[in-house]
Amino acid sequence: MVNKKEEIVELANNLRWEVGGNFHDSLMESIYKEAGDIVKKTVRKKDEKHAFGFDKKLDKIVTNKWTGFPIMFILLAIVFWITVQGSNYPSQLLSSLLVGDLYETLKGFSHSLAIPQWIDGLLIDGGYLAMAWVISVMLPPMAIFFPLFTLLEDFGYLPRVAFNMDSLFRKAGAHGKQALTMSMGFGCNAAGVIATRVIDSPRERLIAIITNNFSLCNGRWPTQILIATIFIGGLVPANLAGIISAGAVVGVAVLGVVLSLITSWGLSKTVLKGEASTFNLELPPYRPPRVLQTLYTSLIDRTLIVLWRAIVFAFPAGLVIWSVANIHIDGISLADYFINWIDPFAILIGLNGIILLAYVIAIPANEIVIPTILMLTVVHFGLHGVGAGAGVMFQTDSLSATKQLLEAGGWTVLTGVNLMLFSLLHNPCSTTIYTIYEETKSIKWTALSTFLPIVMGIVLCFLVAQIWQLF
Amino acid sequence: MNPQTALLIFGMGMLLVMFLFYPEKGIYYRWKKAILSTERVLIEDALKHLYDCEYRKVNCTLQSIAGNLEISSDKAAKLVQRLESLRLITSENSNLFLTPDGRSYALRVIRVHRLWEKFLADETSVPEIDWHTQAELKEHKLTPAQANALAAKIGNPVIDPHGDPIPTSEGNLPEHVGVLLTTLKTNDVAIITHIEDEPKTIYSQIIALGLHPGMQIRVIENSQTRIVFDAEGDEKILAPSFAANITVELIRDEEEIQKEFNTLSNLKPGEKAEVIRISNALRGQQRRRLMDLGVVPGTIISAEMVNPSGDLIAYRIKDAVIALRKNQTDHIFVKNIEDND
Amino acid sequence: MNSFNANCENCPVHNANNLVKLGIDMKDFDFVIALAGNPNTGKSTVFNALTGLRQHTGNWPGKTVTRAEGGFEFNGHKYKIVDLPGTYSLLSTSTDEEVARNFILFGQPDVTVIVADATRLERNLNLILQVLEITDRAVLCLNLMDEAERNGIEIDIRTLSKELGIPVVPTAARQKEGIPDLLQYIDEVATGKYKCKPRRIKKRDPKLQKAIKLLSNELKQLFPNLPNTEWVALRLLEGDQEIIKAIKTGELEHLERTELLSNASDSIKKEKVTI
Repeated sequence: MVNKKEEIVELANNLRWEVGGNFHDSLMESIYKEAGDIVKKTVRKKDEKHAFGFDKKLDKIVTNKWTGFPIMFILLAIVFWITVQGSNYPSQLLSSLLVGDLYETLKGFSHSLAIPQWIDGLLIDGGYLAMAWVISVMLPPMAIFFPLFTLLEDFGYLPRVAFNMDSLFRKAGAHGKQALTMSMGFGCNAAGVIATRVIDSPRERLIAIITNNFSLCNGRWPTQILIATIFIGGLVPANLAGIISAGAVVGVAVLGVVLSLITSWGLSKTVLKGEASTFNLELPPYRPPRVLQTLYTSLIDRTLIVLWRAIVFAFPAGLVIWSVANIHIDGISLADYFINWIDPFAILIGLNGIILLAYVIAIPANEIVIPTILMLTVVHFGLHGVGAGAGVMFQTDSLSATKQLLEAGGWTVLTGVNLMLFSLLHNPCSTTIYTIYEETKSIKWTALSTFLPIVMGIVLCFLVAQIWQLF
Repeated sequence: MNPQTALLIFGMGMLLVMFLFYPEKGIYYRWKKAILSTERVLIEDALKHLYDCEYRKVNCTLQSIAGNLEISSDKAAKLVQRLESLRLITSENSNLFLTPDGRSYALRVIRVHRLWEKFLADETSVPEIDWHTQAELKEHKLTPAQANALAAKIGNPVIDPHGDPIPTSEGNLPEHVGVLLTTLKTNDVAIITHIEDEPKTIYSQIIALGLHPGMQIRVIENSQTRIVFDAEGDEKILAPSFAANITVELIRDEEEIQKEFNTLSNLKPGEKAEVIRISNALRGQQRRRLMDLGVVPGTIISAEMVNPSGDLIAYRIKDAVIALRKNQTDHIFVKNIEDND
Repeated sequence: MNSFNANCENCPVHNANNLVKLGIDMKDFDFVIALAGNPNTGKSTVFNALTGLRQHTGNWPGKTVTRAEGGFEFNGHKYKIVDLPGTYSLLSTSTDEEVARNFILFGQPDVTVIVADATRLERNLNLILQVLEITDRAVLCLNLMDEAERNGIEIDIRTLSKELGIPVVPTAARQKEGIPDLLQYIDEVATGKYKCKPRRIKKRDPKLQKAIKLLSNELKQLFPNLPNTEWVALRLLEGDQEIIKAIKTGELEHLERTELLSNASDSIKKEKVTI
């Protein structure tokens, strides 16, 4: 019996020589011949010319040389505009609810129970506050941006965007569908990384995963807007400030897109040169989007992701943030040790120790970088009259207050510019890093996606800082 | 630190990194290459060379080993001594021969080499010109068990991408078939079955002409100085010394000769065509995916629309609209058909 | 495992051990259903319609990557349904295709539901015919019928069913049309009331034909009850490691399947399930 089994395997090995290398081709031909026969007997097409007439007409417009790109940009602009406008109010509401009222209630509750101060600080000022911050900043834009995107997807428009954009991405060694995963990245990099599943070519998918972080995600927009308004807007007369600072933010986002294309090109020519690459882009028929169902599933899905992220990643980060500001050795807090140690290097790249510390402990979420910086600035310089205490993140009530605070911390225009650059070019947040690992199952690619942007960020900030000082 | 110094130090650092890690010329790569040149590598390369001589039925000597491995005669002499003491080769009037052990060792190395080339061709995007070089490194690293695992992973292939047969794990290798391109007469039609990948200078020029195994050629002129032939619609000219590196198999059956070499990339929106064949230049995943989508001989394809930049065309294939890039459609042979409705 | 199999020849979950190996917990279920199909044919929508789950779906080829599982009850039978990754084919070495291929072969689902796009039947037939090479218990769910109708495509369901040898159910899963019929046919095939006679591919290349015949004859001698020897022979020629392993370890013997007795009473089945 055993011999017989071995014999069959052996027989197959020998037959392989006779059949030749390309029997797969002839097999596929046989299958399609058979399929053709069956279709001839069973399928009847009335009026073939007018089948998919609507699709054809619509495709003519959305892929037209003159109208294709304008339609695409207008649609994307509308999606972003609705997201920004629509999330403003719910964000404020959530913030005043979670960071304001509920926080106060929790504090009051813990006081009434006489819970030791360090437990109260660690859990409520640290963990809870970070979690609340992430939810209020992240949830509203996610809940608006993704359903809109999903509606476009459901309708069948997104593959047409990939079709239109493919020329640009082909030149960068990437897949046209990367245009979409990049756009998703403007909402959330982790979601963008998951979206790369639609790219079925291994090399192009890896490129899309590694470069997704160059899309400025919604956790980073508020930082960009705040810093641009204070430092860039402050350089010009008040009536131009709005336009100029908005321009600076868009400029950073565009820089991100350009860098992502350049990096894609570089990756496809070097480390990813050998990965297998195929191309096909199916343009499915248009289908009426199911608005209610999409809104429902998308909302539920995204809300769950945000909550999960807040609990798994932001809460521990909050614990760390509170701890470094409150644990003292020989009367100096851990935060101060780190800040003093890294300051010379940070100055060299035009930032400061506080910013770098904030980026280290706020890996989990870009949303809490600014509150952390503000808190650390107050604690480190021992400023009075502002802030909520060591380890308690806060936001000031007005821009001018923030500006004063930062200037007291030694910030200049250069610090502002470099912070904007560094906010674009640093490691992905830990949710994204985790997602990249889940999607690639490779430590190598996860490490590359993590360290490539941070090295680029440090180099760019260094060059800007040094050249700035030359003049 | 003042900015000038900082920038200067940074620039020097960058130069140093370049110097260390520059692809193929940097210190790191040279060092990696150097440590590979061990005794095992020399032994295996010598055996491969001797096997090659045996296969081509020519005699090999100590000098030819020295030349082939690019080592000094002294070193080659020591190597031959070592091989003899290992009973892998025997010598007779300064001619060297493989013992049965030596032959099976050589075939094991060749098996890994060709398997790896096949793997690179089908499962990766490594360019053709690098297959051989990478396989030269890999062949010394894999154990027989690893080679079998590799073979299994890529479906136990029998022919490598250059058209060479891959020895089985038992060391069986079929006889070489086919004739050299130089022996063809005018108007002969043949299929390229093998392109010799050594020496690299000649191979790279053949590759640059776009020739590959599986290609159909028709000889236009064959003289002392040059051989001119039509390769799937394009005229190519080779010197006889180059053409001698190409093996072909004559097609005698008139039916099997493909006459039209129009490609899908020439199809304009609104036109229809029938697929004749996918060129062998499309390999591995690319080829399989195209066939999965229905691009097989006999399929009717119509060009539907062009993207705004004019360089990506979407085709209707079996009722689905699928965009394919030019580097794919260049390799799909079609014949145009009249739109009859 | 052997004694288990001997006891349970006619039992619908006689392959439970294999399923456990593939990560499927068959506790509390009578039948297992695999959902196969091309990308973007509405497979996830059919899955949702059958289970009531709300998996994210989209108008994109290739949305579902991770395997989804769900369950439902029909006609007093409890079904476990496994959503396989959407693939164009089952012949290549890509992970998705391997997962789908091995599940249908080694997991031996009681029914394989193939979801096809009615507007592109010809291309979908590639996968359908390949699935029918592996299993002889399948139902074709011809989805997106609404879209086909809108575009003037008429499909002769009865002839198609006769040609393929399996039940064909026209559906429009987005509108939940045809789902009750689909359930009915799944149940009939699972319980053996409907006997499929799946169409097998005629290999046209004489060399390939000869090789497959030779191999499948040998296989038939060794595994007389194996229903899909031609497919196994083909995979052997392709050098599929899983198949070679299954032959060498004899795992293939356990895939031999005696036809289900259509009148086997429910009580017997329930009893076996609890083993």
